[in-house]
Amino acid sequence: MPTDTVIATHDLAKHYGDVRAVDGIDLDVRRGEIYGFLGRNGSGKTTTIRMLLGLIRPSSGDVTMLGTRIRPGEQKVLARVGSLVETATAYPNLTVRENLDIQRRLTRSPRGAVAEAIALLQLEEYADRRAGRLSLGNKQRLALARALLHRPDVLVLDEPANALDPAGIVEVRGLLRRLADERGVTVFMSSHILAEVAHLADRIGIVHAGKLIEELGTDELRTRSRAFVKVVVSSPDRAIALLDDRLGIRRVERTREGGLHLFDGLDRAAEIARVLVGDGLDLSRLCLVEEDLEAHFMRLTGGEA
Amino acid sequence: MLRQVLATEFLKLRRSKITWLSWLAFAILPLAGGLFMWIVREPERAARLGLLGQKAGLAGVTADWPSYFTMLIQEACVGGMVLLAIIAAYVFGREHSEGTAKNLLALPVSRHWFVVAKLAVILVWFGLLTVLLIGEGLLVGTLLGLPGFSMPLAVSSIGDILIAGLVGFLLIPVVAWIATLGRGYLAPIGFTLFMLVMGNVFGATGWGKWFPWSIVPMLAGIAGPRVEVLAPGSLAVVGLTFVLGVAATMWQWRHADNTQ
Repeated sequence: MPTDTVIATHDLAKHYGDVRAVDGIDLDVRRGEIYGFLGRNGSGKTTTIRMLLGLIRPSSGDVTMLGTRIRPGEQKVLARVGSLVETATAYPNLTVRENLDIQRRLTRSPRGAVAEAIALLQLEEYADRRAGRLSLGNKQRLALARALLHRPDVLVLDEPANALDPAGIVEVRGLLRRLADERGVTVFMSSHILAEVAHLADRIGIVHAGKLIEELGTDELRTRSRAFVKVVVSSPDRAIALLDDRLGIRRVERTREGGLHLFDGLDRAAEIARVLVGDGLDLSRLCLVEEDLEAHFMRLTGGEA
Repeated sequence: MLRQVLATEFLKLRRSKITWLSWLAFAILPLAGGLFMWIVREPERAARLGLLGQKAGLAGVTADWPSYFTMLIQEACVGGMVLLAIIAAYVFGREHSEGTAKNLLALPVSRHWFVVAKLAVILVWFGLLTVLLIGEGLLVGTLLGLPGFSMPLAVSSIGDILIAGLVGFLLIPVVAWIATLGRGYLAPIGFTLFMLVMGNVFGATGWGKWFPWSIVPMLAGIAGPRVEVLAPGSLAVVGLTFVLGVAATMWQWRHADNTQ
């Protein structure tokens, strides 16, 4: 494990009966990095986060945070970790300030930490309002304030932009960026919204069906797009043979709908049409497709692009 | 750290409806007993109250301090057990119902302290309610001018109320464990009501002294003849129930997966 590794998992898995919620995830998150954990609903993001925090016990594999092996009940290292798991929750009968005071006492933070967290999340107007009477967006701000109050070295945030309005999302994004850049805070954040992660993360792990299926830098993700010629033809097998034989197009992918994606000959659409029609095949569709970032994600996670 | 956890547990009760409802519930009990005494003492006025007057007359109760103290003991036992269960369900179950358990478990605090602090809050809370019941009972009895007061009777009766409350509290860790296991309010309250029924059933048999939930009703004389001194076996059963309840609750907090 490299010395600047802050969060590491090895073959991390959680099974519920036959359901493999998390299935052998290896992570290596570095100091000061913002790591986006991207996946669709039910892909295993929250279960992974719960294991990172020792809220649930892995079926196999292990988690190491700041050099300490995490197990349920492991509390020392948690003094350096701030977290927000799934929905933002608070004691509804207590005010924002009182909720944060509980966090302050239990993390042994100085008295000024509550006011600082309130200011950081711009909750001054609501500081003496009961949590049960806050809007969803302000509850989310309160949860983020709670996570940040004790100035943690690591933030583990599950869908931090949930319920925030667009301006709030931009604010939180800026706040997390500043924490990473100025204080060297390591941020591990999950999201199912690609744009949110793409705007903020230094590195992205794409999780699907409990597996980490791709890990890449945001620059790589931004430039990762693929173009292909989409062909829908009456006899795909015959078409594949013809394209190979006549045009030398060999990188071909079949789609579940019976179409073909041709990754060679992107500028030879007219020739492709001539060859297929000339051989008597019914060509119902031929077009050039350029997949964007979202399509890439959807393709990886099995959705419709 | 326990001091900090205790402080936060008390802070969580602020503006809580359950806190005030519990005070109201226990404040009504001596008044209800006092009303009953008044009806018994004033049969003519009681007759004008219809069924309530008849019932009061049928009970064969005399309007004096010994009867009133017996009534207070019964109220403290049955009302106390139900109220203790509601308080325990609230203190432990709310963390799951309100989804805050995950926040606590991700803090740098030994999970055992939460269990200890919550039990301490319940003990203090219920202790204060019991003091209220005793104080208000003494006041109501004095205002009614009930005859038959003596200091030994008062000390003995107050002692019985405190012992019944303490025994009831010793059964609470099991309720706390059910609240943690069931992740909410319903399971522990349902469990307690079921155990109260079972306690009355067992209390009417020779096995009552071995069944923890029979012991409080037996102390109150609700399940069969009143038992004024607990058998050593009963004390051991109650003590063991407490120890097992605390251990199970701590284990649940420390080791169980939190998936809420």
